[in-house]
Amino acid sequence: MTLSILIWLPSAIALVACLAPRRLTGVAAAAGSLLTLAAAIYFVADFKTGHAGLQFVTDQVWVSALGVHYKLGLDGLNVVLVLLATVLFSVSLTYAAFREWDRPRLFYFHFGLAESAVLGAFCAQDLALFVAFFDLMLIPFYFLIGMWGTGARVRATTKLVIYTLVGSFFMLAAAIATGALAASEHHTGIDFAFSALRALPLSHASQEWIFLCFAVAFLVKMPLVPFHGWLADGYKAMPIPAVAVFSSILSKVAAYGFLRVVLPLFPYATVHFQTLMLLIALASILWGTTLAFTTPDARLVVAYSSVAQLGFITLGIFSLRSQGGQGAILQMVNHALVTAPMFFIVAALAARAGGSEDLREMGGIAFRAPVLATLFLIVALATLAMPGSSNFIGEFMIMLGVFRAKLAIALIASVGIIGAAVYALRIYIRSMHNRVGRGVVSREIRLSELAGVAPLIAVILVLAFYPQFVLKRSEPSVNASIAATVLSPLRVASR
Amino acid sequence: MSATTFGWLILLCPLVGTVVIAVGFARLGRAAGWIGTLAIALSFAASVGAFLGLLSHSPEHRELTSSLWDYAVSAGVDARLSILVDPLSIYMALVVSGVSTLIHLYSVAYMRSDRGYSRFFAYLNYFVFSMLLLVLAGNFILLIIGWAFVGAASYLLISYWYRRTTATRAGIKAFVINVAGDVGLVLGTFFLFRHTGTVDFLKTFAAVPHVFHHNSTDLVAASLLLLLGAFAKSAQVPLHTWLPDAMEGPTPVSALIHAATMVTAGVYLIARMHPLFELASTAADVAAIGGCLTLVIAATIALVQVDLKRVIAYSTMSQIGYMIMGVSVGAYSAGLFHLMTHAFFKALLFMAAGSIISAMGNVQSLDRMGGFRRALPFTFVAFVIGGLTLSGLPPFSGWLSKDDIIGFLDHRGGGFLILGIFGYLGALLTAVYTFRMIFRAFFGDPVPEALELEHGHLHHADVPRNPLTGEEEDTDVGFPGPEHQIAEREWPMRLAMGTLAMLAVIGGALQIPGVDDAVTRFLEPTFRNSRFLHTQVSLGAAWIGLIIGAGIALSGIAIAYAIWIRSPATAVSLRERFAPVHRFLFAKWYFDELIDYVVVRPVLWFGQFAQSVLERVVVGGAITGGGTGIVRAGSAVVRRAQTGFLRYYAALMVVGVSAVALYFLISAA
Repeated sequence: MTLSILIWLPSAIALVACLAPRRLTGVAAAAGSLLTLAAAIYFVADFKTGHAGLQFVTDQVWVSALGVHYKLGLDGLNVVLVLLATVLFSVSLTYAAFREWDRPRLFYFHFGLAESAVLGAFCAQDLALFVAFFDLMLIPFYFLIGMWGTGARVRATTKLVIYTLVGSFFMLAAAIATGALAASEHHTGIDFAFSALRALPLSHASQEWIFLCFAVAFLVKMPLVPFHGWLADGYKAMPIPAVAVFSSILSKVAAYGFLRVVLPLFPYATVHFQTLMLLIALASILWGTTLAFTTPDARLVVAYSSVAQLGFITLGIFSLRSQGGQGAILQMVNHALVTAPMFFIVAALAARAGGSEDLREMGGIAFRAPVLATLFLIVALATLAMPGSSNFIGEFMIMLGVFRAKLAIALIASVGIIGAAVYALRIYIRSMHNRVGRGVVSREIRLSELAGVAPLIAVILVLAFYPQFVLKRSEPSVNASIAATVLSPLRVASR
Repeated sequence: MSATTFGWLILLCPLVGTVVIAVGFARLGRAAGWIGTLAIALSFAASVGAFLGLLSHSPEHRELTSSLWDYAVSAGVDARLSILVDPLSIYMALVVSGVSTLIHLYSVAYMRSDRGYSRFFAYLNYFVFSMLLLVLAGNFILLIIGWAFVGAASYLLISYWYRRTTATRAGIKAFVINVAGDVGLVLGTFFLFRHTGTVDFLKTFAAVPHVFHHNSTDLVAASLLLLLGAFAKSAQVPLHTWLPDAMEGPTPVSALIHAATMVTAGVYLIARMHPLFELASTAADVAAIGGCLTLVIAATIALVQVDLKRVIAYSTMSQIGYMIMGVSVGAYSAGLFHLMTHAFFKALLFMAAGSIISAMGNVQSLDRMGGFRRALPFTFVAFVIGGLTLSGLPPFSGWLSKDDIIGFLDHRGGGFLILGIFGYLGALLTAVYTFRMIFRAFFGDPVPEALELEHGHLHHADVPRNPLTGEEEDTDVGFPGPEHQIAEREWPMRLAMGTLAMLAVIGGALQIPGVDDAVTRFLEPTFRNSRFLHTQVSLGAAWIGLIIGAGIALSGIAIAYAIWIRSPATAVSLRERFAPVHRFLFAKWYFDELIDYVVVRPVLWFGQFAQSVLERVVVGGAITGGGTGIVRAGSAVVRRAQTGFLRYYAALMVVGVSAVALYFLISAA
């Protein structure tokens, strides 16, 4: 089995599902996504840990004149993320299949296309291919908001399109420049494969502006402060299964992009801009935390908490220490596993509070819903990175990396850890505890809600006992990415 | 079975108990309480097994470790799932599981009419598991996990009656202050890891003397950060404000978590980290001074509070101050001995208080109580035994254990002597506030509730109201129970209280100067490298200290008698004459207000400002609006995107990308 099968399977399944009766499209798409999940499990099981190199490589020249390869491969950076993406898509599709959607065939087709694009972006080992998948993955979401969104969906779509298109434009320009400049500076043929580009380091001046272009694209996508202007409207308008996937997986592609593209290809600029990136990450942690514990909207609590969590992930990456990098990978997995069920739970809460996602109208929901309360509590505690959850290990490694790199930033960032306790407990208490809100009807979690929440909580619990599952697979590759920057001239000079 | 196997069993029993009760909550009914009690009793049996297992080793081989699997072994971090079975951890496990068993037994009866019965026992088992994990952890990661788990369990149980807004507010307050403490532990671990390169306890302790100098900056920083965690968990000044509020939880919770076990975790931590604190003597001195301040401040507050449970809570803070002071200056066995006797008598006091509160229909104010001596004879005797032990009257165990600490301080002399004198001052205040409670609750004219009990009726409270806010209680979640669960009617409560009372009386026999020193001898292997191993108070000095202590306790009781029994008007006239002092103490030294104005309000204000102004104007307006404006001006395509063109545009992209993909598929084939 090659990775191409894994990548294109979701799209193929989505097309096949369109042949099913309209009523059964969702079921077919959800069942098909399990097939993709099985394929991903096959690759993870077959993956040999302890090697930094690529495995399951597919490499074909795609556009020979431009040096673009259709090159796919798995290593420690992406192997777990591929599995994660298939898990999250399966769960979200299952969740969606329990509900009615307008034009279901089109709806599920967009999901399938999105999954293919995400898997492609994770597996791509060629810069041009990565950029193509990265842009492709956004398109289905424009539709998902624009056509199936709620509330101010036109404004939300406009903002999202403008922000991400600007980001994509920067990335496209930077990617072309990387290939062209590498070829011209070293007088070789143009070649976009990562392995080739790594061997042809760019001049410092080129690295600097190209780094900034990539950074803008990734930071918009995550998003981090101050590039998060689209976040509130976008997350508010997206249908629940879409926002679950978007915040859990698509944001991770951007974080992954830093580790895959930026650190190895622009090591000089990475070290040069390390402090800037750490400060942006720090600002995001504090800003996201502050907004998360003041907003009255349950969905936005989760949205802003994601800004803070992605701030931590970025902090780990740009600590440029192996602990930080390892923590970042683990935290990408952890954050995806908590944010998606959080969105499902917010939907469940709204269903019990007369359709409102406003925390002020909730309260006392736990009474007749002990199972919902327990599951919500587990997710809330994992969100605040309670020790004992895998999230804690991720945050611990990240903070350890930052601690070694820049002590002051680690100390300030630890305020964000305390803040996380405030916003996570606040959303829990305001909705589940206290006096019963007006219009609140407490009732137990239903199968259709459980379908989204339960599988992910099972994974959270398993990882809580064994975070090493992720760490041991990613270690050699993370070390290789970090090592690229350690050897960069600036770092040596500054010693 | 080896001692480490027993060590794992100690953890497994309460974990299984939690899972069984949590999964079967709907079907178990009243069995949940007995399952929970059984799980903890088995854990105690396993602790005894581990204890005997340790004794079968020679003293220098009583440090055993065992690991299950790699937890987070990566990038130099070496966190395995490992436990450390040594005299200190087993001593703690015995105290924790033993007292927990009795409190579970008490709760079986006390919580019987509560609607959240099985939820209560699931939480309680989870707490015991967490606490045992904390004391058995073999590395910093597991320690922090246990540390945070007990915080979470404490939160869950404080907010147990979750429809009371006062309870949920107290819960989040306790949790957030404890998370701040957790962060202290994490950062402290980083400072150590930077030099030792390990998170394992034994490796760290072995490395510390080689990588750090006496009072080197990073070591002091690490120790102070660990202290932050210890002070937050053990409710020491100024991180104590959550503990009195934690009394919102059911009374057995106050007895177990907020008196006997969890709040003593800070004492355990300092004792466990003694190789660090001995080398970072500055941090140890800070700890000792903090403990001393707490013991005096808390005792003065306890003098004037009227909520029965809060008085006992302040008393707990004060007693933990003694322990912290003890283990910080090197009196390890004395501090840990006081930890054990305190667990006995403080749990006993809370249980007795629970019985009164139940009789009062959940009224906790001393102002409303009186004359319960005849109505609640068993509770009365139990409370007096607990009170005498707390006051430090011979021959009760508290007398021996408290003076063990103060004697050591006096022996070290110099500045430590001052701490010792404050210790005596605290002892005097302790005796006064303890007997203030006893005289006010049990003596004087019986209140209607007491009279009704004496004459065999049940007194039913009318509409129950929250004493803090005056709101009508939401009784849907089971608060407060309609019946009176008092010790006189419930044998499990009597059994638990009787056992603890006996332990409080005879527990001191383990450690009598010149007669026996079983605690010191058992704990010695853990502290064998300590500088203070051979620091011993002479027999004569120890007995002089004990006699002074007894005298102080007696005078304290006499003062209380003079004020509240002989001429009850004294209390009122004292309060009027010293009105500002009374107001200051009644307001708890204004710590809550201080934290509110310095931390909580500024943060909330900034949050509101960020939400309503910065986010909307700067991010929403300037950045997004400006960015949109530029793009709009420059591109007619995007302008039209707003008017429905978007869909076609995006569709075009899909078609384009699909075409490219198709091209590849064809060309690759």
